[in-house]
Amino acid sequence: MPPHITHLKQEKKVSKISQLADKTMLTFLMIIVIVYIAFLTLPILSVFLKFDLTQIASQLQTPGIISAIELSLYTSFIATLISILLAVPTGYFLATRKFYGKTVIDTLMDLPLVLPPAVAGIALLYTFAPKGLLGPTFNRLGIIIPGYTVAVIIAEIFVASPFLIRAVKIGFENQDKTLYNSAKILTGSRLRVFFTISLPLAIRAIISGTVMTWARAMGEFGATLMFAGNLPGITQTMPLAIYNMLYSDPLAGLMLSIILISISFAVIIIVKLLEQKKYGEKRG
Amino acid sequence: MIKIETLSKSFNEKKVLNNLNVEIQKNKITALLGPNGSGKTTLLNIIAGLLNPDQGNIYINNLMVHGTIGTKKVNLKPFERQIGYVFQTNALFPHMKIQDNITYGLKSLHLSKAEIKKRTNTMLKLVDLTEYAQAYPNQLSGGQQQRAALARSLATEPQIILLDEPVSAVDPQYKETFRQELKKYLQTLEITTIYVTHNLNEAFMMADNIAILGNGHIEQIGNKKEIFDKPQSEYVAKFTGTNILKGKATKQQNKQHIQIETNNNTLLTTTSTNTELIGKNVTITIKPEDITLTTKKPTNTNNSNITNTLQGTITEIIQMHSTTQITVDIGFPIKTKITPTMIKKLEATIGDTVYITFNPSTLNIFT
Repeated sequence: MPPHITHLKQEKKVSKISQLADKTMLTFLMIIVIVYIAFLTLPILSVFLKFDLTQIASQLQTPGIISAIELSLYTSFIATLISILLAVPTGYFLATRKFYGKTVIDTLMDLPLVLPPAVAGIALLYTFAPKGLLGPTFNRLGIIIPGYTVAVIIAEIFVASPFLIRAVKIGFENQDKTLYNSAKILTGSRLRVFFTISLPLAIRAIISGTVMTWARAMGEFGATLMFAGNLPGITQTMPLAIYNMLYSDPLAGLMLSIILISISFAVIIIVKLLEQKKYGEKRG
Repeated sequence: MIKIETLSKSFNEKKVLNNLNVEIQKNKITALLGPNGSGKTTLLNIIAGLLNPDQGNIYINNLMVHGTIGTKKVNLKPFERQIGYVFQTNALFPHMKIQDNITYGLKSLHLSKAEIKKRTNTMLKLVDLTEYAQAYPNQLSGGQQQRAALARSLATEPQIILLDEPVSAVDPQYKETFRQELKKYLQTLEITTIYVTHNLNEAFMMADNIAILGNGHIEQIGNKKEIFDKPQSEYVAKFTGTNILKGKATKQQNKQHIQIETNNNTLLTTTSTNTELIGKNVTITIKPEDITLTTKKPTNTNNSNITNTLQGTITEIIQMHSTTQITVDIGFPIKTKITPTMIKKLEATIGDTVYITFNPSTLNIFT
């Protein structure tokens, strides 16, 4: 057989082996992806499969359900509002100013994000409980925090607002500095530059951070349980009600779970849409 | 007119600009030319007031915008300096329509609505973007975006305009057209312009004058011909791609000519009446375009003309866009540039013996 024919045959063989290796790798990869997706989605799906959606109306009559929903909506709304007032200026400050110890401050701001919720609850107790760090001061003013709705709001702000600080910081940090310089040449007002350039360019990050913060506040469980307690109508939010109803009224618990899952899903969709949105559509 | 005196700026103890002095002619386009990292954008940002220098005075049309008068310190805000600035990345506000980008600066001038509208329309018309007034920047091509940025910077009727590599963000196939359009706009407006570029050809095409920035200061400023024909430092000569030879002025040959002995003992004749050069070490530059290349030793048909003819060997041939660069070793390498037609006629190749000839008047000499 001529040498070039042998060479061609060898090349074909190598190419077949290479193709087979590629296919095997792809198969393994797909198996891993499918198993992982199933692992993440099956628990959520099982909640929906277990619950008869036609029973929503009757389940809403279960004692404690409506109050838990109302309390969750109320506390998470107030917590988000306060978070906006605190986190937006803080995030802007951290994104635009350089100062000694900034890294330490940045780390402290991120700490509640990774803190176990139970630890967050204990930390809040040791700060605001009557015998805590600030407790005696509040006592003198006649204010008792743990066991009241305000404790739920504080717990939610503590665990959820760092999401907003992060988003705001990234929103301002990622802005092209030449836009800011360009505006400074065109106008003498720093306030105008902030309100017409910096803020509008960061607004998507602020909105998506706000939505994330609200969702986190709605889902807050550990810190609230430790710090505020589990009192129906006062501190029992939806996650705490689910915990309570797990054995006493599983169907009502399932319904609350479905509401929380739907909120989480909607939040992710909103954030993704905001990230994708462009100013106008590109012309061909 | 822009006048800069003893300007210095350091970043982390590294001096980027060092005792820089320059005067930019009024209503002319001056290219600020220098390699990447030479401090071109830093200088532009200092003139614009976006960056503070460590020291130095800056005047725009005889008004001090930064510096010290006696004990009084002056540092006008960018907005107060009445400048237009087109950034390398165009810096159009992405969340505003083109029309709103243009009106942004006008709104700070407390003009009437009618005047703002009039000026915006004039600018849109000037840069031929009227039909894109309602478009967002990301809906335009790179060239259109830069034109919009130019319109925005010109709308406020600035005293000077600073252009920082305005062509770099334009798609390669449209660069040439954009340059021509830009030059047309600037010539129409007759405005003092600093045009930053690291591209020699671009500087030559766009500018009336060229200022070469190197080693933290302006190495040379002058009209295009002066910069290319008479570089005043080795830095400028290297940057403009001119041949550099070192030697000593040995004697005056006649009233118009001086003899130079290069460091490898080659004798050259240069046109100069400056007898003070005799005995001094000098640097000689000659443009590759001024050198004639032949395969046969040229015979001097006109005895009244003194020429420099040297024998050498071709060591390198590089085919470029419209010319061919040939390096000839005459004891030291010397570059020549000829047209592709000429190289065909020469039929020369690497290793061939050739003769290079250049007129004494084409030699530039400095100490």
